[in-house]
Amino acid sequence: MRANVLARNPLAGAFLSEYFVLLLTVILFVALAPFAVGLASSESALNIVAYLIPLFIAGTGLTIVLITGGIDLSIPAVIALTSVVGARLMTGESSVISVAVGVGAMLGVGAAIGAFNGVLITALRLPAFMVTLASMLFFNGFAVWFTQSSNIGDLPANYLALGKQLPIALTAAVVIGVVFHLLLSRTIFGRWIYALGQNAVAAHISGVPVQRLTFATYVLSGFCAAIASVILTGRLETGSPVLGREMLLDVVGATVLGGTSLFGGRGRIYWTFFGVLFLTVLDTALNLMNLSQFAVTMSKGAVILFAAVIDATRRRFVAFA
Amino acid sequence: MNRNAHRILQFSPLLLFVLVLVFFGLQSPRFLDPRNLANIAAQSASTGILAVGMTFVLLTAGVDLSVGAIMFVTAAIAGKLALSGTPVHVVVPCMLLAGMLFGSVNAFFITKLRVVAFVVTLAMLFVGRGLSLWITETRAMNLPAIYLEIGSARFLGVSIPAWIFLAVLIVGHLVVTRTPLGRQILAVGHDVEAARKAGIQTGRILAAVYVISGLCAAAAAIITLGQLGAVSPKFGEQKEFAAIAAAVLGGTSLFGGRGSVLPGALLGTLLIQTIENGLVIMNADPYLYPMVTSGIIFVAVALESLRNRSAPVAR
Amino acid sequence: MKPILEFRKIEKAFFGVRVLKGISFSVPEGSILGIVGENGAGKSTMMNILGGNLRADGGEILIGDERLVAADPRESERRGIAFIHQELNLFPNLSIAENLFLTRFPRAGGLPWIKRGELNRRAAELLKEVGLDVSPDRSVETLSAGERQLLEVAKALSFNARIIIFDEPTTSLTSREIEVLFALIAKLRARGMTMIYISHALQDVFRLCDDILVLRDGEVVAHDATETFSTDKLISLMVGRSLEQVFPGRAKTRSGEVLLEVRRLVRGEVIRDVSFSLRAGEVLGISGLMGAGRSELARAIFGLDRRSSGEVRIHGETVRKSSPRAMIRRGLAFLTENRRSEGLCMDGSIAENLTLAALPIYSKHASGWLSRENIRTAVQKMRGEVHLDAKARSEQPIRTLSGGNQQKVVLGKWLLRNPKILILDEPTRGVDVGAKAEIYRLISELAGQGMGILLISSEIEELIGLSDCIVVMRGGTIVDELARAEFDRERILRAALKAA
Repeated sequence: MRANVLARNPLAGAFLSEYFVLLLTVILFVALAPFAVGLASSESALNIVAYLIPLFIAGTGLTIVLITGGIDLSIPAVIALTSVVGARLMTGESSVISVAVGVGAMLGVGAAIGAFNGVLITALRLPAFMVTLASMLFFNGFAVWFTQSSNIGDLPANYLALGKQLPIALTAAVVIGVVFHLLLSRTIFGRWIYALGQNAVAAHISGVPVQRLTFATYVLSGFCAAIASVILTGRLETGSPVLGREMLLDVVGATVLGGTSLFGGRGRIYWTFFGVLFLTVLDTALNLMNLSQFAVTMSKGAVILFAAVIDATRRRFVAFA
Repeated sequence: MNRNAHRILQFSPLLLFVLVLVFFGLQSPRFLDPRNLANIAAQSASTGILAVGMTFVLLTAGVDLSVGAIMFVTAAIAGKLALSGTPVHVVVPCMLLAGMLFGSVNAFFITKLRVVAFVVTLAMLFVGRGLSLWITETRAMNLPAIYLEIGSARFLGVSIPAWIFLAVLIVGHLVVTRTPLGRQILAVGHDVEAARKAGIQTGRILAAVYVISGLCAAAAAIITLGQLGAVSPKFGEQKEFAAIAAAVLGGTSLFGGRGSVLPGALLGTLLIQTIENGLVIMNADPYLYPMVTSGIIFVAVALESLRNRSAPVAR
Repeated sequence: MKPILEFRKIEKAFFGVRVLKGISFSVPEGSILGIVGENGAGKSTMMNILGGNLRADGGEILIGDERLVAADPRESERRGIAFIHQELNLFPNLSIAENLFLTRFPRAGGLPWIKRGELNRRAAELLKEVGLDVSPDRSVETLSAGERQLLEVAKALSFNARIIIFDEPTTSLTSREIEVLFALIAKLRARGMTMIYISHALQDVFRLCDDILVLRDGEVVAHDATETFSTDKLISLMVGRSLEQVFPGRAKTRSGEVLLEVRRLVRGEVIRDVSFSLRAGEVLGISGLMGAGRSELARAIFGLDRRSSGEVRIHGETVRKSSPRAMIRRGLAFLTENRRSEGLCMDGSIAENLTLAALPIYSKHASGWLSRENIRTAVQKMRGEVHLDAKARSEQPIRTLSGGNQQKVVLGKWLLRNPKILILDEPTRGVDVGAKAEIYRLISELAGQGMGILLISSEIEELIGLSDCIVVMRGGTIVDELARAEFDRERILRAALKAA
């Protein structure tokens, strides 16, 4: 009954469409352009792209975790810890080898934190939100202790290029986006991920290696967060133990806003791109409007709530269909 | 797992507590000094009150990540009011009211819009902190001396915060064990569907626990104000973690239906506060504290997972 | 005696399958009515309508002289109907007294304060009435199954119930506990309580009930005073002879090689020492009542539940580490009894669900890259093989399909893996007649191609129509074994019911 009513109502149709958020972004842009001076400029466009890249890369990993019905709240801690570990290894050096070692260590640490989460979630069967929340606290604390709450500068120039040269970061983001999109849509791994999120019991009975798969998604999420950290650290020119601290809501909010469900089973990489785009445009516009930092924080809290409400509502509609 | 292992797990909080006391006692003679122990009790008050509220939420298989932010909001409001000359006896009820209001917002999103509790309260954490920074204009506020005087006053040799903590513990315990609400909370936490079938209005029960948690957060803010005499931008930061750790360490299940205010929340809080106090006395690196807290959470949830599996009536 | 309860032409269908076909009967006040029937005859559906858990599609129910309107458990409760389910609705983390008065605690004045004294006193009175000699503030966790059953009766009394429905109350009770329960039922009857007693234990029904009603395929086939029935008569009424289903002719049994061998399998209390073997081209039927351990046996073989002892051999090779994954690799497939919760990803499409188990077959190399072309061909081919609704698009969400088509998708999912051994647990449950016939045809064809099939079903007709051999399970063991020539409905039911 209700589904039919919905299908006939164009507004509801738009709401359920996967391009809903893209539409919202356009509306937001047009509505705020007159108030946010300079929003419609090439400078702000570059800004948006620059902010969008690390958020999107981290969001890609989170998308995969969310599709299985899990969550990863430890992303900010991965970014902070990998940032200081990498910086500590590279500071004062300038050779290409040291950069390779530093970046390799960052990615390794990211994957290791993901593996840590994965083990606790699968072996001890603890709720993912609790494990990753405690992880966030622990590894954030570890990063601060490791550096005694100071920044690590003097990073090699060829490393900084990774963050400062937009084309490099952009290439990385596009490659990751495409690879993960193909992984989800064209491989066994991807099909298993969706099946796991839709019905874990049916997946298990059908021979899906549920435990190993769950573990792998957290490793991937940690790995993606580490790549985001490589770019952010390079851009900031320092390894900072508080890097990414404000990113948690941005990542979760943008991903869920894009349409990937907190209940599992639904999600696409390009949806996450839409969500990230929306959030970055909103962020840039609010900054240009000279709103204070706390207003920005609050509005982000509101965005994630909004996204979660849409998600819950959609879910109820789909259940009727 | 057998019954003995189960029994040991049941008493694990108490066992851990004794171990911690012995460990720090051996490290430093100052630790077991009665004055230091009284200190621990007073320091436990705010975390303990949060843990009582968190216990209510966890009993329904929910979680409230916004309690630290609610503390900040209510303290910021108190600061504003106090500095504009509002007397204490008006400020305090205003704080409690604000705490309940915030709890009701959480409850609205969780029960009416059916959004997952951890997402709602996580978002409220950010909304709350943003709001508070706006109210305080990102500055520290020093409150009138009367607040500190109340916070350090003693009655029968025990500080006022400790008395309030005791009162909240007793009231919380009685609500859980002796009121229809408390018993229905346990029923809902065990199985929402079964509770609905039994005729319990589950929506109301769920809403109530978030309001209670908000109220407790406000009470914790009052105590912290009395102890610090000021509101800083870090007010109440990461308190939600300490509260969850305390409740879970005290034996309250993350999956609902099992747990207690007394002795649970009290034991859990004392355990955490004792460890923190011990670290201070040992002059440990302050940057280690958050790692220790999160380490305790890991231990708590792992113990809880083992308890869950060893429960004799599993399934 | 005037009737206290009357059913008038009650109708109910699930997903287009009629499960109650105009049920009418009445129960005189103060009597005990026994309801018997095979699994799936409609007993539970009927009582769930009375208990307010389901809404009838047609007809009406009268309680006293008034119509029972809403499909709402609380409304039924208010009208004096207490339904004691097989799975009890108790909160083990609360005390006995609290469970009894969960929504009606005695309070002190207008305060939200439980008067413990009064609560426990009133609970104690109720416990005394049902003969449960325990302290009312004990935790329900510590009670035995029998004590919990009595507690449910006490709960019914506390609501001033006028009609108590018992659904298989004795399955998890010891014989001593059963005696206690029966004494209580007799006592309640003496006080004028009306009761409905649903059970497979025919000797209990004979002993307790004033009247017996026999249900078959959603219809009342007999309803009379207990004295007019004998065990034999009841059994023949229950099995009846429904000839509406046509079974495909099975080719003569070829005794192929042994594919699956189960030796002395034990799993806790549910499966006690089961041994059998399955040959290529054979359909082995497993009969038994609900709770006899049939599904549990299938789950243990497939590696879903851990077995306590015993061994499973496939192609003569003992399987040590068993998990669904390992079993699928060895050529097993398992269609479970719960299509929606265990068989399908309801948000997924037809194609996604069809290919889920066979995905590794469609990737050419280790990367796991899937060939869309291969998948499309496979989906197309399998859709034809299981005769899936031709109008349905392969991208269509599975939840939009009928039960029969959904079941065909689950079957197709396994067939794409080319299994050697197929375990089917209630393959035609909730499936319309047309789809049923097609599933029967498939079973027969697959066996003809040399597949070994383990067929679990509650429909004796189905087992007789399709199997080469039938084993009957009761209480976790095999109690009878029939070769094709010996197939006899009444013998099977008798073995399952333990009505010697």
